[in-house]
Amino acid sequence: MSQIPVARKEGLVIQEMPDEVLVYDLETNKAHCLNQTSAFVWKACDGKKSVVEISKLLGNSVSEDLVWLAIDQLSEKNLLESKLSLSSRGQSRREAIKKIGLASVIALPFVASLAAPTSVLAVVSCGQACGGTLNVRCPAIVNCQCTGVPGGATGTCSGA
Amino acid sequence: MNDVKIKKPCKEKVKYEIQIEVYGVKICIKSNRKSFFEEIKKQLYKTIPVKFETVADQISEYIFYLNAVENNLYEFCVNDENLGKATKATILEVFDSKLRITIAEFAVSKVFLHAGVVEWKGKAIIIPANSLQGKTTLVTELVKKGALYYSDEYAVIDENGFVHPFPKMLSLRGIVDKHTQVDYAVETLGGRAGSERIPVGLFLLTGFELGWKPKRWKPKFLTAGQGILEIIPHVISIRNNTKFAIKTLNKVAKRAIIVKSKRGEAKEFADLLINFFETNVNYTSDLDC
Repeated sequence: MSQIPVARKEGLVIQEMPDEVLVYDLETNKAHCLNQTSAFVWKACDGKKSVVEISKLLGNSVSEDLVWLAIDQLSEKNLLESKLSLSSRGQSRREAIKKIGLASVIALPFVASLAAPTSVLAVVSCGQACGGTLNVRCPAIVNCQCTGVPGGATGTCSGA
Repeated sequence: MNDVKIKKPCKEKVKYEIQIEVYGVKICIKSNRKSFFEEIKKQLYKTIPVKFETVADQISEYIFYLNAVENNLYEFCVNDENLGKATKATILEVFDSKLRITIAEFAVSKVFLHAGVVEWKGKAIIIPANSLQGKTTLVTELVKKGALYYSDEYAVIDENGFVHPFPKMLSLRGIVDKHTQVDYAVETLGGRAGSERIPVGLFLLTGFELGWKPKRWKPKFLTAGQGILEIIPHVISIRNNTKFAIKTLNKVAKRAIIVKSKRGEAKEFADLLINFFETNVNYTSDLDC
């Protein structure tokens, strides 16, 4: 298994910020926010540096486990060219965090993600007409469903 | 499941039409009946609460057909998609929603966020939220306390990160029933609508929780990245114009505070929000950006 991670660049919109990086994946329509540590690791994944080398770039006292923790998350979010995971090293995230310890001088890597909404063009607001012969959808939110019957009676997008 | 596929688009015998351009979106509205067409034209000014141009001979990307058909029913199509038949009132309601969302999704050089917006002392408070999260209720309370009304539906943000008014009638629920919206002009609530572009002071990501009553309100401050991540699901054009939307949000996030918190009843929460805004938002002008 290769331990030379390569950051994915294609199909992404990347917005650099002072202490973090926002990445929007155009293929999955998911947005990811990389904190400072995970952003550093991701940017260092140039296909030339090994995990050990990246950990040295982060600082002399930084363990390899911290870089692996970042890579594990980046890989899971499909932000690396090929899959690399902690489990392939026989380690879980919990074990890695335990090993890094609370004394780490660097913040633990973290990648937060959210999905973008689907196109809203076919959606009407909650409270509006639907069903019957209307070809419209109620918004995908909790408790807002069409009371009408497709091809039958017109109803409204409404909640329970 | 409430989709009904009707294949035949409604393009026959259409005599009356108006072409408009709103935020760079070119739309043509057509109808086969003069009296109905006049009603549609009247509704346009309610649906689009900003200045727009009527133009001649443009190539419209979006064509809305609203035709009178048999048995006092009306039919609605957008381009080749037939959205079905219904009573006049229902079709006008669906038209209202479709027209606004088309403009929001395809606006040129603007990012539309699904959000409530008010102005307080020259800066915007933006409350991004889905339907049924109490945007209008909170906006109404803020307006009653002296905030200028910008919108209860969309925050319209330009490429420099300023918010423009989209002061449609406030659509309040809970009067007829839980879901039916009743429209009110902001003036009937004793408020006024803003007319200028303004910088953003605060983004508030919030949702109503019954019984929420903290001793002291301490919203969670989000970093720019965390904030944009949470705002993205409310950006109408995120899939169509991703790069522009993220670049624009980044400009706004550099200067605004982004906080997240649950909230209780709008009336009490509006006071907390105003106090928080006055304490935490920098009032120095950044109109030169």
